[in-house]
Amino acid sequence: MSLIQTENLTKIYGSGETAVIALDHVGIQVKEGEFVAVMGPSGCGKSTLLHLLGGLDRPSEGGVSIDGTAIADMKDDDLTKLRRKRIGFVFQFYNLIPVLTAVENAALPVTLDGVKPAEARKRAAEWLQRFGLGDRLASRPDQLSGGQQQRVAVARALVAEPTLILADEPTGNLDTRSGDEIASLLRQVTKEYGRTVVMVTHDPRIAAYADRIIFLKDGKVVDETQLERKGAAEKISNKMKEIGD
Amino acid sequence: MSVRYAILGLLAQKPRHGYELRAAFEAVVGGDANWDVKPSQIYTTLERLEEAGLVERSSDLGEGDEPSRRVYAVTKSGHAALTEWFAQGVTPDHQRDEFFVKLMTALVSGEGKLDRIIQTQRAHLFQDLHAATSLRDSYNPRLEMAQILLLDKAVMHLEADLRWLDIAEMRLEEVKGQPLPEPEIRPRGRPHKVITDSVDPPKQTAVNRKK
Repeated sequence: MSLIQTENLTKIYGSGETAVIALDHVGIQVKEGEFVAVMGPSGCGKSTLLHLLGGLDRPSEGGVSIDGTAIADMKDDDLTKLRRKRIGFVFQFYNLIPVLTAVENAALPVTLDGVKPAEARKRAAEWLQRFGLGDRLASRPDQLSGGQQQRVAVARALVAEPTLILADEPTGNLDTRSGDEIASLLRQVTKEYGRTVVMVTHDPRIAAYADRIIFLKDGKVVDETQLERKGAAEKISNKMKEIGD
Repeated sequence: MSVRYAILGLLAQKPRHGYELRAAFEAVVGGDANWDVKPSQIYTTLERLEEAGLVERSSDLGEGDEPSRRVYAVTKSGHAALTEWFAQGVTPDHQRDEFFVKLMTALVSGEGKLDRIIQTQRAHLFQDLHAATSLRDSYNPRLEMAQILLLDKAVMHLEADLRWLDIAEMRLEEVKGQPLPEPEIRPRGRPHKVITDSVDPPKQTAVNRKK
């Protein structure tokens, strides 16, 4: 069953002659446990799509359903509740709070949700340990590298145990190697921990970590590509031989 | 060419015989799956290096029943050749590309849909890139450095090819309005001899008028 389903999803900014169609009747499906990348040139509507999937914005037309629940007509309070429990967000600039430690930052969503601080910190520490930050729990963001800060942000996105992670250019502010590590981590989040990840990126190297790429252009889905191909790994090692020659 | 220098380098590390050299080469490139060198190529290369005075041979009398083997070592000029190799950059050959030929053929013949051809190639490269990153994640960085480095290289090349596709796609609109490349038809056989005497004298230019 699809975890995410959109139907005729449309977003228009402004009205009349100055109206801009950011998304134009988009119908996509994302399966549970899938890692999907959304790609396209800037202004293609990929961030708008992510905002609508996360209930951060309302569609002009059409709908989104998450796990069978239509979110377009939900009341604000219910939507907030759904966001807090079911969806984790990862942003380009980490959005960590500078005065809090790594573990406090990662614990924040559940702390705000009323979980006792000690328990919240325990859950946050578990995710940080899984992501190789067990020895940096007490570090503040400015004591961490960009890649480490983003790992804290991914831990924060997971601390409330949501089913869906939405990532908006999560490697956009990172160097090549840290970017690859974060993409690899998001892959691990789907493969090892069974979460569903939808990631917006304009970076082809990062998109290739996903199971599937949805290509957007001018607010429309122009193509979808499944990335697992039989024999591709073999071809790569043959290619390596060629590079060697 | 590079096998020749790799052999020089491995002999600079320590004198070796042919069989050992091949094993050392394979270890350096991360196994024969990456780069398979036949024993005959090793021996031919050693002979040529010896002729060129870059390595010298001595006989290693085998202990007990072992047969004697030819052991090679780097000479002074061999070291110099290696130093020079390290001092030079390498230009890879990027121009002979099957997809490039496919794209141009589509453009010239009017067969096939260009945007579809590009998207098909894009999907294909993304699949290769996906396989390369998965493969890279499966190697142990402590033990399989050669594999990881080669995959890093493959990943970066694939990324460049994908970016090039984006550019090619953007340029298509400009290219479509232009006349297609037409071959220049030259007469076959030996070119006609140009009789220079009958050619008009060079026009006077500002420079030679001064003289």
